[in-house]
Order: sequence, then structure tokens, then C-alpha cells
Amino acid sequence: MSDWIAIGALAVVGIGIPLGMMGVSALLRPSVPEQGKRTIYESGEVPTGSAHIRFNIQYYMVALLFLVFDIETVLLFPWVVIYRPALNAGVPMARLLLPMLAFVGILTVGLVWAWRNGAVEWMSSPRAMRRKTERNQP
Amino acid sequence: MAVGLLDAAPAQLFPEQVTNALGLPGVVGEFVGALIAAFLVGNVMLAFTGVAGPWAKRKITAAFTDRIAVDRIGPFGLLIIPAAAVQLLAKELIIPEGADRPSYDLAPLVLPASAMLGFAVIPMGQLGPVNLQLADPEVGFALTFAFASIASVSLVMAGYASNNKYSLLGGLRAVAQNLAYEIPLIVTAMSVVVFTGSLRTSEIVAAQQEALFTVAGVTIPSWFAIVNPFAFGLFLVANLAEIGRNPFDIPEAPTEIVAGYQTEYSSAYFVLFYLGEFLHIFLGGAILAMAFLGGASGPGPASIGFVWFVVKVWAFFLFTQWCRSALPRVRIDQLIEIGWKGMLVLSFANLILTAVLVGVIAS
Repeated sequence: MSDWIAIGALAVVGIGIPLGMMGVSALLRPSVPEQGKRTIYESGEVPTGSAHIRFNIQYYMVALLFLVFDIETVLLFPWVVIYRPALNAGVPMARLLLPMLAFVGILTVGLVWAWRNGAVEWMSSPRAMRRKTERNQP
Repeated sequence: MAVGLLDAAPAQLFPEQVTNALGLPGVVGEFVGALIAAFLVGNVMLAFTGVAGPWAKRKITAAFTDRIAVDRIGPFGLLIIPAAAVQLLAKELIIPEGADRPSYDLAPLVLPASAMLGFAVIPMGQLGPVNLQLADPEVGFALTFAFASIASVSLVMAGYASNNKYSLLGGLRAVAQNLAYEIPLIVTAMSVVVFTGSLRTSEIVAAQQEALFTVAGVTIPSWFAIVNPFAFGLFLVANLAEIGRNPFDIPEAPTEIVAGYQTEYSSAYFVLFYLGEFLHIFLGGAILAMAFLGGASGPGPASIGFVWFVVKVWAFFLFTQWCRSALPRVRIDQLIEIGWKGMLVLSFANLILTAVLVGVIAS
């Protein structure tokens, strides 16, 4: 129980220190508003449009795969923890190892399928590709 | 020569020691004691980043590139540390137009807080009678990774809320990087748990104290870096990517996207990001030391364990700076290929191999 009290106390400190620094800074720093000072940085140019746009994240297939493997790691953790104690208690190795191998094997088949279908790659945006190829045409 | 064993370690953790020393009663007393202990540990971490950020990083880079750095104020330029702290905190805070306010302000809080929370379960060894570990729950090892990975949430918040295109790209790159490296990192960490059979961090360290073999009178301890160097290499690379250091610093990539998610941050907010990043480097080093380098063990009595812990963590920091000076940055498509086609497969191979080996040895 006192473990979690300590972690909670560290959370309080971990948020308190940054807040304290923000507070000190608020007391120290000047405020000199000027025309154009708050403009967003775009290599010195006048910024064009907002950054809150629909944006092609080119790894959404990888993100889907990540979910699958993330759940796999969560499910593997209990197995990893009991493996050594169970071995020491005299459970035969094959009985412990084979179910895990089957479980990882199923996911490996999935990964191979995704790999062959090009899901674990940086997706090139079709629109950007078209623009590039059109530009290259005479 | 005897390797410093932790068998003499006191059973009490740091918060308990503080509570008992001050004689604080009840649950409230326990919480106050824990707060004091956490504050002290937090300040040790702040001191690390204070030395690393404005001073050591510059000195190391200068040494690598054959230049002279920070030597104007104080001995070895050390007084640059308070000077930089005051200077950075006294800067004007410029909030960009169209920033997404609550998120823009919260992101610099989340990054250092997540890194500090990661230190909760790290056994930092003894310093005299003081046992520098805040908590030792049964799920400790998994908990550090859980806390450390909150960092990417902060990077996305900052990247999106800044209303800057470079920041947006930086935030999205941080996500891609974490997607690619989180799983190899944790699966490699699992291969350590296969050896120990416990997620309790003190037991992970204790399992590395036995002598592995003796060469010419020197006892080699069974640190997992020596027992399983393959896993150590994998973990080192995945750790660099997790904390976003070269060659995997693409979320910042100063020469490509200015500073990524940091572009629009100034004053205290920028300091907090900088601080959070250094804390994450040290957390990465602490996890590495705990899981592979025998935690706080080393030659000499157990009561100087903290010194060895600091040496190991700073060695990792030096390694990240070495990589920063020596290695080119990978491209983002290369990063995804290294992560998903290389590291993921290798980390699972490592886990299965380790499990088989442990099984053969145990039976």
C-alpha cells in the first residue's frame, strides 16, 4: 500500500516542480506585445493557412498493426512472469512453451501477410505521387 | 575481488525511512514522508538535468568536434548552469496565434511529469544508510515503461496545439517512432523477466548479483548485459528510439523541421520540454542500468551503490551524446522499416530463444 502512496507523492512532486517553474517564470518574465510577434514560425515567410488541417498520416496501417501487437505484449506479460517459477515447480518445458509459440506464431503469420501486402512501409500519398508524375510529363 | 552484493540492503524503502526518522504517524504521516522523499529524489533528477543540459552536453559535443565550449563563467564554466536557468526562465513567453490553449499549456507539464514518475520504481542503490528507492510494487518493471510512454502523448499535444506545420510534422513523427519501437523495447525487456520470473524491480536487480564465472581472480557478475548481450544491444537501440535521441531524433530533426514540436515554445515552457527530454534520457539510462547492468551494484560496499548507479546512468548519457556526434539521422521511412522489419522480428526471436535457453537450463 505504501508503494502506491509513494508513487502518488512522486506524481504530486512531478507536477509540482514544473508548475513551480512556470510560476517563477511568470513572476520574472517581461511581456512586450508587438505587431506580428505571435505569428507562427514558417521559415520567415508569412504563414499560409492553419496547421489544423486534414493530414495524411502515412503510417495508419502500421498504427493498426501496433494495436494488435500491443495487445499481444500485454497478454504475454503474465506468461513471462510465471514461466520461470513454473519451471522451477517442475512443470515440463514443452507444456509452458508450446502454447506461447502457437500464440506468437499466429501473429507472425499476420505480420508476414501484412509485410507482403506492403503494410509495414511508409505509404506514399497517391495525390502527391500524381502531382510529381504529372510534373515530370512533357 | 568481491562484487558488491546487495544482500545487506535494508528492507525499508526511502519513504518509509523518512517517515520513521521523522516519527510521522498514520497514513497522513506516511504521505508526508513520501512527499519529502519524492521531493528529494526529484531534486536529484533536476540536478542531473541541470548539469547535463546547459553544461555537459555542450562540453561533450565540443570535445567530440574539437572545439572549446562554455568556459567563461566559473571553474570549467560550471556557473553557466544557474545563469542559463535564470536566463531561460526570465524570457518572454510568446504564445503563437491560433494555439489550442489548454493543450498548449498542458503539454510541457506532461513530459517532465511522466519522466519523473518513471523514477518511482527505479532502485537507485544505497547512499550510506539511505536506500534510494521510492516504491517497489509487484508490477514495477511494467510500470516504468507505462509511465515513460506517456511522453509521446505530450509530444502530440504540443505538436498539434502549436498551430505550426513543423510542429504538426514533429508530433506525427513522434507517434510513428513510438509505434515502431515500443513493442521491440518491451518484448526485449520481457526477456529479462524470463530470467527473473518477477516484475519487482528489486528482484530484477537482485537476480543479477550472483557470480557468473571467475576470470583470473575477477568475479564477473551475472548482469543480463553479459548473460544476454544480444538482448542488451536490441534494448540499447530501442531505448535510443524511445527517448528520441540520435540516430532516431526525427521528431525534432533541427535541420529538417526546425525543432519539431518545440518550435513554438519559449520561456518556461521550452525549459520544461528541454528538462523533460533530459529526464527521459536519464530514465532510459536508469532502466538500462536496472535491467541489464546490475542496477546499483559494483565493486565496494553496498552503501556506495548510488555512486555506481550515477556512473551507469551518466555512461548512458555519454553514449547518447556520442551517437549525437557520430551517427547520421535515419529517414522516417527507414525508421519504420528498421522498427517493423528488423527490431520487431529480432526481439521476438530473442524472447523465444531466451525462453528456450532458460527452460533448458532450469530442467
